Amino acid sequence: MKKIIFTLISFGCLIIFYACEKKETKGPIKIAAIEPLSGPYAAVGKDIIEGIIYSADVINQNGGVNGRMIEIIPMDNAMKAEKTTELLRKAIDDGIRFVTQGGGSSHALNIIKQLEKYNSRNPGKEILYLNNSAVTTSFTNKDCTFFHFRFDSNVDMKVAGLVSHMSKDNSVKKVYLFNQNYVYGQTFRETATRMINNKAPDIKIVGDELIQPFGKIQDFTPYVTKIKLSGADSVLTGNWGPDAFRFVNALKDAGVKVKLFGIYISQPAGMAAMEKNLLFNDVIVVKEFNPTNSKAPNWYKEYEAGHLDAVGYTPDADRFRFMLEMFKNAIEQTNSFEPLDIAYALEGMEGRSIDGGKVIMRKDDHQIHFDMQALLLVDKTDQSIIYRNQDFDMSYSNVGNIPVKDITLDTSCNMKRPK
Amino acid sequence: MSLEVLVFIIFNGLLYGMFLFMLSSGLTLIFGMMGILNFAHASFFMIGAYLGYQISENINFWIALIFAPMLVGIMGAMIEKYGLRNIHKYGHIAELLFTFGLFYIIEEMVQLIWGKTPVPYKVPEILNFPLIEISGMSYPAYSMFRLVISLLIFLAIYRVLAKTKTGLIIKASLTNPNMVAALGHNVPRVFSNVFGFGCALAGLAGVLAGNVIGTEPSMALLLGPIVFVVVVTGGLGSIKGALVASIIIGLIQTLTISMEYDLNSLINYLGFQIDINSTINHFTSLTLSQLSPIVPYILLIIVLIARPRGLFGKRDV
Repeated sequence: MKKIIFTLISFGCLIIFYACEKKETKGPIKIAAIEPLSGPYAAVGKDIIEGIIYSADVINQNGGVNGRMIEIIPMDNAMKAEKTTELLRKAIDDGIRFVTQGGGSSHALNIIKQLEKYNSRNPGKEILYLNNSAVTTSFTNKDCTFFHFRFDSNVDMKVAGLVSHMSKDNSVKKVYLFNQNYVYGQTFRETATRMINNKAPDIKIVGDELIQPFGKIQDFTPYVTKIKLSGADSVLTGNWGPDAFRFVNALKDAGVKVKLFGIYISQPAGMAAMEKNLLFNDVIVVKEFNPTNSKAPNWYKEYEAGHLDAVGYTPDADRFRFMLEMFKNAIEQTNSFEPLDIAYALEGMEGRSIDGGKVIMRKDDHQIHFDMQALLLVDKTDQSIIYRNQDFDMSYSNVGNIPVKDITLDTSCNMKRPK
Repeated sequence: MSLEVLVFIIFNGLLYGMFLFMLSSGLTLIFGMMGILNFAHASFFMIGAYLGYQISENINFWIALIFAPMLVGIMGAMIEKYGLRNIHKYGHIAELLFTFGLFYIIEEMVQLIWGKTPVPYKVPEILNFPLIEISGMSYPAYSMFRLVISLLIFLAIYRVLAKTKTGLIIKASLTNPNMVAALGHNVPRVFSNVFGFGCALAGLAGVLAGNVIGTEPSMALLLGPIVFVVVVTGGLGSIKGALVASIIIGLIQTLTISMEYDLNSLINYLGFQIDINSTINHFTSLTLSQLSPIVPYILLIIVLIARPRGLFGKRDV
């Protein structure tokens, strides 16, 4: 009797396995999304994942990609780089062929290095890495690989935009560099130092700080004191997540007036923590679009409204949308679900931008290029910033356009192309 | 650095130090008196912060300030009575493992109840204004409030332990539990109360700090290690030691952040030069401010080598 049951169970298992195996080629296209979903950085990771899932949902509602749906599989790395490595291995074991990640360049570097080995050893089973936000410059320069595509402008491009904007601002004379001590923050600092010295020699760097990253520092007051002492009139920072939010609040609490230039200072995940403290100092960030522009075209307004309905806020980043749209186009063009074919199709592909500007994936280094805008946070003038159904009564105001030609930089990338 | 700025830095150092004191004073009592290395101590701090948030959302901050620590204290006493006490006979390793497990259970519970993302715990409106201004920098009223409360707590504990009969019994239970029991005192209950009180102190620290440093499930993990540094440096069971160690750590950490000196500047001063491109430059160019996060642990090692009983301890660790 026992034997029969055992045989039956084994047989049942086989059928299930077979069914699952079959599903892999007919079922949804799975994309593993590895981001922090617990710990101090959870809020940021959650926003990225929700943005990507919504973008996939929109594609799915319009019939999917060649008859298949896109399924985003969130994986929580708790902002620990070794966990990212482990999760990537799990995704590979589960037969997932596409991975996206963005929160934290140290994680991205792990994925790039791991996939470089894996893809060269497993031809025909390659994994494609869609980098949604990890911006360390080297990923599309000396560390570039064929199966990595970056859908966000890199640090050099962003800093070039910021510095060109700063050089036009007469009130900026003494700048303090304030960054996180890991691969991304170090890159930001080096690039900023180099570009200020070359392109804006009138601006003096009066301070240069690398802090312990990822929410380990609770009290930023000592750093604020230091900035005050240095006599800086502006701070240039690449900080993101709590390392940016707590800093903004500490500046407000200590009543220290400086202009803040950065990329991620006004991330929506920090809105509830900062609220109007964001307006205490001038905060200027560079972005691919203005999230509070009410004059966006209708198709985008629809997308935005759906996003607000689905997750309770309007998109703060546009890249998740064009990333998956380009991914979809690549599959439809090649009529293949193979990462190798998709990768070739993505090279040089153009995406759809909101304001008619160009969005193009450069073939040489797999780095996306698009126009950027310098945005200042102000009291509500246009559409309002809404996050998790709370209206913050603030808007972004465009204080300068940064055309793509100003931030198109040479690349040292010399990648090996398979086949 | 002007004198005024130094005053500002010292105020901040003091504030951070007093925060550490509140966090660790409970542990020094528990560790010193019962010998329990409570790994979950910072978890009680976290529960305090979350309860503080929840009660101030539903009622108000002042009620939270009183009742959240009490709830945490009751919880701690219950855990001692129904958990730790039964394990006590199996020795310290069993207790250690128990609190280790407790740490994870509390973290998971908090995530189940309040979610994995930070909760919006706000500083009470009435205290949300700059109190004093020192050379262009202001000191928030809420920070001063925290400083005052923690000082009052120190005075209260110190007085109870040094001047009252309760303090006498607690101290006696530590050294001669059998004799105290023979005199008719309920020693296990004393232990329960001390454990609960220690947890309540951590809870109070949580209520007061959660709205400044951010209330989220990994806060216990981030603050766990530093608590042990304070307890060991100050000396087991010594409230005075915990205070002095906390303030030393607070001041050192705040001051080192403000200093840009590195080994290179010392080497240059001595008349030598390090090649910028050499490997050794990676180490010698580290500034004191970059090293500030590890300063407390360096202090811990120095104390363990030079004076294993800590600054005010009566016995070795």
